[in-house]
Order: sequence, then structure tokens, then C-alpha cells
Amino acid sequence: MFWKTAIVAALTLLPAAAQAEHWTFTDPTGQTVTLDAAPTRIIASQDAAAGLIPLGIRPVGIYADSPVAEAKALEGLDLSGIEIIGQTWSEVDIEKAAALEPELIIAEWWDRNAAWSGGQDLTAILSQLAPVTGIAASESIVGMIGDYEALAASLGADLGESKISADKAAFEAARAAFEAAVRAKPGLSALAVYAGEDALYVADPAGAAELLDLRSWGLELVSPEGVDATGNNYFETLSWENADKYPVDLILVDNRSATTMQTALAQPTWTLNPAAAAGQVTDWPAFWIRNSAAFARALETLTVAVEAADPDVAP
Amino acid sequence: MHLVVPSRGNRAARLFAGLLLLSVSVVAVAVLSLAVGARPIPIEVVWQALTQFDTANAEHHIVWDLRMPRTLVGVLVGVALGLAGAVLQGATRNPLADPSILGIHAGAALAVVLGIAFFGFTQLSGYVWLAFGGAGAAMFVVYSVASLGREGATPVKLALAGAAVTAVLYSIINAILLTSTRTLDEIRFWQVGSLAGRSIDIVLQVAPFLVVGALLAFACARLLDGLAMGDEVARALGQRIAMTRALSGLAAVVLAGGSTAAAGPIAFVGLTVPHMARAITGPSYRWILPYAMLMAPILLLGADVVGRVVSPPGGVQVGIVTALIGAPFFIALVRRRKLASL
Repeated sequence: MFWKTAIVAALTLLPAAAQAEHWTFTDPTGQTVTLDAAPTRIIASQDAAAGLIPLGIRPVGIYADSPVAEAKALEGLDLSGIEIIGQTWSEVDIEKAAALEPELIIAEWWDRNAAWSGGQDLTAILSQLAPVTGIAASESIVGMIGDYEALAASLGADLGESKISADKAAFEAARAAFEAAVRAKPGLSALAVYAGEDALYVADPAGAAELLDLRSWGLELVSPEGVDATGNNYFETLSWENADKYPVDLILVDNRSATTMQTALAQPTWTLNPAAAAGQVTDWPAFWIRNSAAFARALETLTVAVEAADPDVAP
Repeated sequence: MHLVVPSRGNRAARLFAGLLLLSVSVVAVAVLSLAVGARPIPIEVVWQALTQFDTANAEHHIVWDLRMPRTLVGVLVGVALGLAGAVLQGATRNPLADPSILGIHAGAALAVVLGIAFFGFTQLSGYVWLAFGGAGAAMFVVYSVASLGREGATPVKLALAGAAVTAVLYSIINAILLTSTRTLDEIRFWQVGSLAGRSIDIVLQVAPFLVVGALLAFACARLLDGLAMGDEVARALGQRIAMTRALSGLAAVVLAGGSTAAAGPIAFVGLTVPHMARAITGPSYRWILPYAMLMAPILLLGADVVGRVVSPPGGVQVGIVTALIGAPFFIALVRRRKLASL
């Protein structure tokens, strides 16, 4: 009987042995990265960093889309000891990046743009230092947090940490409160926008994971009719003359930059939309939520706005 | 039988009739600008908005809050650019003079770039004062440099100093923009020149300056006629040339600075329109100035309306349209007349 036990043991141990030697990850485009061991020197995009740091994976370098102090994704994260190698979208200090001797670059795949975070030009540069991989900016923040957990676990994170479960519990509580608030306001319609000096950009909820999550929890988010396929794929561009094309009860304004809300409020036709006229305007945590703690905070703000909103201001 | 002889009075009457026609055209283009936009609003509703404003009517708000300020900015900026170009061409006796050649645009652009890059300006209303200050400072530097030496600020020295200062300022601008993508993103819409998104506040901010500048410009008309005969002749006629140049330079800075503050640096209008006016009126600045003042807003607002129509919903920026229209116009003018004889 000994040979039988030996074979079973061999069969179970072999893949484990192989795993111990190699680290493998398959990205959303189907490309597989294989390294000799789980990498420890990681450069992460701001969004990937926001997904990984709360799970205990600390990159050695981060490239952000804006000055770190203004990067919403990095808000509230401990960045001590992490080198910031970029503070403008699609720009990194390549010498700093190389000096970090990265083993892996972790970004996010944006399917509608067919590009990694920071764009193709940046990816071309970074991929000379180390392989680029990551998860997809998908259709649910909850799903993405799950993807980051899987990635973090493969990189050696201990997901049983009490801080991680506390964050998750806070998120679950905030989500339940949000669902209850929405349920208490039947007929409340909402619109997510970015306000520019030149035009009003209405977000297609299907392109924003957090909006799809909000919708799945009962919020009635309006989808724009004509998403601008020639420009950016995620919004319909409206002249400010047509600011009331989608009259709603609540407007969520992209809060990646604090000036967007100021710009919106400064437009003379902003208040043509009944929600804006009634002051039923709140923050849209646009595209940047990557962890449970941040989602919980954003949901608390949204819950307050929903609870305060009159669901009958729009016809 | 009367012999019909073309007389001085007859010519003046014809030119005066032309001015009336241009005034009517300015009003017509302004009405067009109120009637045309991304949102189709019937002309009778536009009229209603103007005559019986109803606060509850969204379309009335669009006419008053969006199209009216935009139209007013277009008229004011057009008037300012036409006058500034004509005054500069007369004062420097340079057929290519326009607000960009004396460093006015570059100065305004540098001030706005510095404001965005280092002082966190992000709103149009903040750019107004920056642009104004920058335009004035640049013109002051250009004038000071050109005044060095015995013969004072001659036309050639003004043009050379303007070109040199412009080159220096643009190299600083580019150095900042190359290292700060954020600033580039903010500035690129402003830098082309646009009438979009201008509120009534901007009209009120720049209007007093433009009125003062226009009055100054008209006060210079006679003096510019003297300068046109050459510095020596003007001096022999008893004109104080340096004074004339300083006064007309001040008028140009106030006008061009104000227009740049309101709409960004708009190309070609200030350059082309005075030549179009000169082709009709002949060499007297007493006619060139009012003609240029009325023709420029027609070109500018017309270009803005065209921009709104050809590319909804955002529209093409007026600076691009005026460059597209202005450049061939200018080539045609150059081929038709000898421009060098200012």
C-alpha cells in the first residue's frame, strides 16, 4: 500500500512545489505574467495601490494621476516609505521608477479605452522595467475589491487581519443603510455628471463600477442616450444650453477634483435641472473607490444626500 | 443741367452710409448669435425672452444667461480687437502689427499660465485680471526696450522689441507647460480664444476698460493720420510723435488687454479687419477706426455662430474659426494691394 500513498502524496505535493517556486497571474486581456517568486518590489498605479495597501500589500512606488494630496483614491491611506514617482496622469519619473528596481507593475485595465491605467504610452515605458499586470476596472467595485483580495493573497497578504474584517463590516453596514435610504424614497431619480467650463458631461452608469453598484442597491440612475463614442467613451457631452435634458431629483457630481463642483455651481444654466434648483446635489466618488473603507465613507455621504432629498422635484 | 462731380462731401456721405449699413449688420449678427445655439429655440421665443422675460421659462434663461453674455462679449471683444489692430498698425506704421506682435498676447498668456501653475487659479473670472496685468506689463517692457536710444520708439524698433519679447515670453510659457500637464490642460482651451462660458460678470469687468480704450483710440485718429505721413512730416506739422505713440500704445494695451482677458488671445481679427477697412475707406484713420470697430464684431460673432453650427454640442472655438476665415482673407488682401505702404 505504500506505493499508493506515495503517488497520492506526490500528486498533491508537486503542484504545491511548483507554486512555491513560481508566481503566476493572468490579467483581463488574457496575458499571463510568470515570475520566479511572488514579487515584493511592486510599483502600483494610484488605483491599484488603493486596492492593495488596505489589504497589507505595500508597493515600493506609486504613480498618481494628480498631486497626491488631491488624489481621492489615496485619501486616508498610509503612504509612508512609498516613493511617489508620478503626480500627473500618464507621467512618471522614469529614473525614480528604475531606481526602485521593480519586479512587477500593477495597474488596472480599462476596457473601453483598451489601455492600462495611465494610458498606452506610459505602459510602453513602464513595461521596459518590469511586466505590467493587474485587474480590470470592472462592473462592480465590490467585485474589484474581491479581485484585489485574490491578487493580494497570491502576493502573500494575510486577509484574516482584524483591520480588514473591520473595514468590511463598516462597508456592509453602510451599504445596508444606503439600501434602506433608497427604499424609503421611491421614485427618486439620479444623474452622475462631470461639469466642465465648455460642456456638461453626463456619465454612462454602465461605464462606472460604483454607479453600477449603486444601481444594484436600488438607486434609479438615469442612463444618457448618446454616449460620445468619438471622444471619451464614458460620457454624453451636453452643451450647457441642454443642462436640463435629463431632469432628475438628485445629481451626483464627479469629486475627483474639488473644482468640478465649483464649476457646476457657477454655470447659469446649472439650476435648470430641478435637482440643482432644489440644491439636491452631492458627490459622485467617480472611478476611484478601490477598498471597503473608502466605499463605506462614500456611501455614508450618499445616504445622507438620499435621505435629505425630495424625490418629487423632477417631473 | 448739373455736372455731377465726385466731391469730398459725396464721398463722406457714402462712407457714412457704409457705417450705418455696418451698424445694422452688427445688430443682425448679434440677433443671429442670440437665436442660434445647441438647443433649438424658435425665434419668436427668443423675441419673447427679450421683451417679456419669464423666470420660469428655461429657454428664456438660456437666451439671457448664456447667449446674451456670449453675444455681448463677442461684440465688445470684436470692437476692441478691430480698434486695437487699427491703432497699432497706425502707430507703428507696420502693416503686420496686431496685438500679438507687440507682446500683448504673450504677456497675457504668461500671466494666466503662471496663475494656473503656481497660484491655483482655475476659473475664467480669475484669468481676467491676470491677462490684463500680463498684457500691460509686456507692452510696457516692449515700449521701454524700443524707446532706448536716441531716436526713441520708432516703428521698426517697436516691432523688433515686440517680436523679441514675445519669443522670450513664449519660451517661458512653453517651459512651464512642458513640465506641467495640468496647467496645459487648463490653459489650452483659453489659449485658442473662445467666447463660450463667459458670464455677464466678465462683460461687466472688462466693459469699462474697453470703453476707455475706444475713447482713447478715437482721440488718436487725427494724430495717426499725421504719423502716416512719416515721422519727419508729422514733426514738421507740429505733432509730438513720442506722445502720439505713447497715447495710441496705451489705447492698444487697454483694448487688446481687455479683449484677451475676456476671450483669450484671438488671432487674425486684429490683423485682418483694419486692412479690410482700409480697402474701403482709404488711408484716413478717422474712417478706418469706426469701420474696423464695426467690421470686427461682425467677423468675430459670425465666426462664433459658424463654430456653434458646424460642430454641436460643444462647438468649434471662435479662435479656430477666425484663423480659418482670417488667413485666406488676409492672403487675398495681400495679393490685392500693396500693404507695405503704411
